[in-house]
Amino acid sequence: MSVVKMENAEKHYKVGKVDVPALRGINLSIEKGDLAAIAGPSGSGKTTMLNLFGCLDKPTGGKVFIEDHDVVTLSPDQLAEVRNQHIGFIFQSFNLIPVLTAFENVEFPLILLKKDGPNARRKKVMNMLAEVGIAELANRKPSEMSGGQQQRVAIARALVKSPDYVLADEPTANIDTKTGHEILHLMEEMNQKMGTTFIFSTHDPQVMEHARRLIKIRDGQVESDER
Amino acid sequence: MTLSALAVAILFLIIFDSYFKGLNLKTFEKIIDYETAHIKIYAQGYKEDIDNLPLEKTFDPLKIIPILKNDPEVKSVTPRISFRCTLSNGIDQLPAVGLAVDPVQDENVFTMKSSISQGEYLMGSSTELGASTEEAMAIGADLAQDFNAGIGDTLTVLARTKYSTFQALDLKIKGIIKSDDYTIDANSILITLALAQKALDLGKGVTEVDVRLKDPERIDLFKKKYFGRFPGSEIWTWKEVAEDVMAHSRSHDRGKNIVFFCILIIALVGISNTILIAAFERTREIGMLAAMGMKRGQIVGLFILEGTMIGMVGSALGCLAGFLLVVFWTTRFGFDLSFAMKSWGYIGFRSGVFLGAWNPELIPEVFIFGVVVSALSSIYPAWVASRMEPTEALRKY
Repeated sequence: MSVVKMENAEKHYKVGKVDVPALRGINLSIEKGDLAAIAGPSGSGKTTMLNLFGCLDKPTGGKVFIEDHDVVTLSPDQLAEVRNQHIGFIFQSFNLIPVLTAFENVEFPLILLKKDGPNARRKKVMNMLAEVGIAELANRKPSEMSGGQQQRVAIARALVKSPDYVLADEPTANIDTKTGHEILHLMEEMNQKMGTTFIFSTHDPQVMEHARRLIKIRDGQVESDER
Repeated sequence: MTLSALAVAILFLIIFDSYFKGLNLKTFEKIIDYETAHIKIYAQGYKEDIDNLPLEKTFDPLKIIPILKNDPEVKSVTPRISFRCTLSNGIDQLPAVGLAVDPVQDENVFTMKSSISQGEYLMGSSTELGASTEEAMAIGADLAQDFNAGIGDTLTVLARTKYSTFQALDLKIKGIIKSDDYTIDANSILITLALAQKALDLGKGVTEVDVRLKDPERIDLFKKKYFGRFPGSEIWTWKEVAEDVMAHSRSHDRGKNIVFFCILIIALVGISNTILIAAFERTREIGMLAAMGMKRGQIVGLFILEGTMIGMVGSALGCLAGFLLVVFWTTRFGFDLSFAMKSWGYIGFRSGVFLGAWNPELIPEVFIFGVVVSALSSIYPAWVASRMEPTEALRKY
């Protein structure tokens, strides 16, 4: 079953007077439970593809479907709602809110969802922090944590609302190799345990090794798609 | 920084208002203590012609003063005659305003006696109202200086009588007046009521009766009580008599409001700018919030809420600092501008120390205004923040 699908998706950017094609005619479907890596050199279109998968942007041509809804027809607020309900994000630079504690950062998506009361939220957050192995750091702020710990908080934040899929843009780029390996192992665990679909963008061979599906992209086109 | 800018703006507003109010109160006190008291009674038609100080329009105070003295609201009453005259030392001549007073009654209503800085005050009769015909005068200090005259010197007072004939009186200077009312010091002489009545052919007539009330807030009700009760006379409150001063005060208030408006506009621009800079510094955070599913309206609401919270804290700090400064400093010590008073022509005051006045009503007004200004200042930056494209925002590292 597909969680997100591109049909002949294209994305062009205007750089001054020049029209730059970032993606050309992408046909790709991400299945539930996938642990997929999108790999390619700089400028290949990885981030653009991830932005389309994440409903952060709309294609200039073709379609992107999330649960059979074509995102091209959605307004910015509707796209925000889709992200809120269905998608989790893990960023290269963690992007935690610096004035909030680990607990509050992980709780934030649940507050936006408005589905649970305070007690239910508290339970979900503590469970998720325990799952990622940092329950004892719940009251610490990001400035009081290492890079690896911050990325664990970011993973917990992405997963706490049980999204349909999680997008991770170069999740190990800002941490050391050993910690990066731990983070990837954690995401594998979440994928197996919770059945969460992960889509990485990366040019890190270590990340590619952990992926069960490797999508190579070059010059805005899918070069290969291997499982 | 936004918070401190707002707090400082609020602080300035409160101190500025305190000084404006203090200046107004000082002006009103001066007018009441030296010129108008709380209530004035004139002959009918006198006020319309007051610039000429017409001696044709006088009345018998003994028909009015006993009635007023029996009123429990009245603290003290005194009759006066105001007249135009010319002073001469035989060489130079200067115009002046003559004030004829009953020395005993007058000191209960006005503060002339306590303003005698050299020599003595005029002598009055304690048994009979206005009986003293002492042939002496007290003179304003600056007027005396113009003649290079001092205690014991004689000046000639030239005045027109009620029947427009001329009268000249040679009067010895008994006292020098140095008051907080510069116009008194520069223009006035003081003689006894009986002397003026005799010299100016007024019989028992006076040009005014002045009343000091126990409760100054009741001037309008007092006037209403006695309106029309004294045939041939008219009753006026001090605010009506000093209408030019009141108009000046109103224009001061308008000027003050313009200054306040400018201060708040500056604060609004400053706050808006600071929040806008903060929004740009938090671009990546805003991108992350949008990525997590925060809608544009929610982002706008977040920034406006932050701006409002800053406004509440900044306004509270400004109000607290303003309260402390006004209550413990401006109302007690004020600003001493004595060094500049002479070059400014004393701006109506002798004393150069200006105290502030505590205005408690201003605090909640200014607090609410500060919060509203902060909230409004946040709207544009909030709108800018909400319009950031998540992809662009997230790209900024």
